[in-house]
Amino acid sequence: MERAQKKLKWTDVVLFVIVIFVAFLFLYPVFFAIMSGFKSNGDILKNPMALPNSFYVQNFFDLFHKSDFFTAIVHSLTLTIVSEILIVFIVPMSAYGIERRPSKVTRLIYIYFLAGMMIPFHLYMFPLFKELKMMNMFGNMVGPVVIYISGSIAFGSLLYCSFLKGIPLEIEEAAMIDGSSPFQTFWLITFPLLGPCTASMVILNGLGIWNDYLMPYLVLPSGRAKTITVEIASFVGQYTARWDIVFAGTVISMIPAMIVFILFQKYFVKGITAGAAKG
Amino acid sequence: MGCQCYIIQSGKRNRLGSRVMERAIELKRSRKIDWVAFGFIGPAFLLFTMFIIFPTIFSAYYSFTSWDGISPVIKFVGMDNYKEIFTSARFGNALKNTIVLTVIISVFENLIALVLALMVDNIRWFKNFFRSSFYIPVLISGIVSGFIWKIMYNYNFGTFNFLLHAVGLDSVKKDWLGNPAYTLFSIAVVLIWKGAGYYMIIYLASLQSVSTDLIEAAQIDGASAPQRFRYITVPMISGAFTINFTLSLINGLKVFDQINVMTDGGPGFTSETLVYLLYKVGFNEGRQGFGTAVGIMLLLIILILNTVQQKFLRSREVQL
Repeated sequence: MERAQKKLKWTDVVLFVIVIFVAFLFLYPVFFAIMSGFKSNGDILKNPMALPNSFYVQNFFDLFHKSDFFTAIVHSLTLTIVSEILIVFIVPMSAYGIERRPSKVTRLIYIYFLAGMMIPFHLYMFPLFKELKMMNMFGNMVGPVVIYISGSIAFGSLLYCSFLKGIPLEIEEAAMIDGSSPFQTFWLITFPLLGPCTASMVILNGLGIWNDYLMPYLVLPSGRAKTITVEIASFVGQYTARWDIVFAGTVISMIPAMIVFILFQKYFVKGITAGAAKG
Repeated sequence: MGCQCYIIQSGKRNRLGSRVMERAIELKRSRKIDWVAFGFIGPAFLLFTMFIIFPTIFSAYYSFTSWDGISPVIKFVGMDNYKEIFTSARFGNALKNTIVLTVIISVFENLIALVLALMVDNIRWFKNFFRSSFYIPVLISGIVSGFIWKIMYNYNFGTFNFLLHAVGLDSVKKDWLGNPAYTLFSIAVVLIWKGAGYYMIIYLASLQSVSTDLIEAAQIDGASAPQRFRYITVPMISGAFTINFTLSLINGLKVFDQINVMTDGGPGFTSETLVYLLYKVGFNEGRQGFGTAVGIMLLLIILILNTVQQKFLRSREVQL
């Protein structure tokens, strides 16, 4: 309130101009990619900075015609949605167990999760793939889903545990006195109160899954389209002369993430700051 | 903040003699297995152990073997992989590249993120819009961001050389990714661009937690703007700085996607980092035993960084 009443200073205007310039620098590559998605290959090469002449969508037709990009989209969506549903089913429960039934064991498990967060995926991927092969989870969609769930447990537990501390126990106690079991209490009483935390976790995890490259590239069966990101990476090597097609793919990859970000901005911020404060 | 919350919460628990807690304490005393807790945590614990901890333990084992990733016969070779790590020029080169890349990224990412946060915090109009603009690159996948910049860096048709040509500076035109003198630098620019927005959010949160009362009090006492920044803002954001710096170092160590798309570790070995070396020896050269040994070294570096961070954070807390 006070701020709004402050007098306009010349420094405000100078800062504003500088920030516009910096924001332009940050957004330019994104703008460049979207613009190039609607330009013909010749136009991209001739003048990379020019705007598209017309609403040119041939690139997108070519993209779906020349590659199995549709399958890649289906795979990306399936992996993201299925993993998220299972993550929401598993992770908050584990955090609830750690936070609401404190004992030496649960404290140890919490430390165990946090310690595991430090292990880089690249370290354990070779034995992991061997393990997946033995369990028949290699070369199908089950493997990636299982890996995404396991990979989300540590960060998710941390997020939920810090959030649960702020939720009063009295509500749960009232439910317990009325005779509801611990699981009923959790799912019917506590879980709905954790909505904002769930939103933060789902959004941050979902972005990670949607954008993931190396793991689906290695685990999903070869010989057909894998995920959007993997397809784009393979185009870069394959269509060295058809940048327009690759740019069409990048537009399709970027747009959903940006829409989700614009709609749910505050959950991004909450998730990142809560994760950093505890991590 | 979180810490204070917890104290208040636990105070409340004691005062009201919470039944849930009482039950938990009873259980602790009776040394029975808490099956309910087990039911809650079990699935997560099982998955985490099976798909992260087990393979990690096996990695430690494979790092002493010459496993190729396919054959069922795994030959134990003792310390050979580690001996190779400490003697081979390729590992030394990868380590050097990793350190150069990681340090450049962390320093500039934090510097830029802090400047962005200060700008967004002080701007008068469209605060939200600018915050979003700086965050947008974070949303783009490593592969896509690598591809976009690869095209912008292109010698003949890229944006940078096009601009240089347009202003008549043809002599400055460069093969940004192909010239070994600039490769790592060019990759670092992409990563800084993509990462700064993330750390900006964390700085912004800690800047906004600085109470305006404190700043106004200092103002009344006659502290100038630089003094206020030095003695109020800097100490308040030092915790965020420690966290951000560690996070960016660890993320810098793990960079893979952009290198994969932009240079594939080349030209020659000029942009081959530890993670990239691990990937290449593991999948292209069929030496997963050696690859896991490289991974173990990576884990050791991360552990050291985390320990240092904890020490720093703790000493800061004592000061506050």
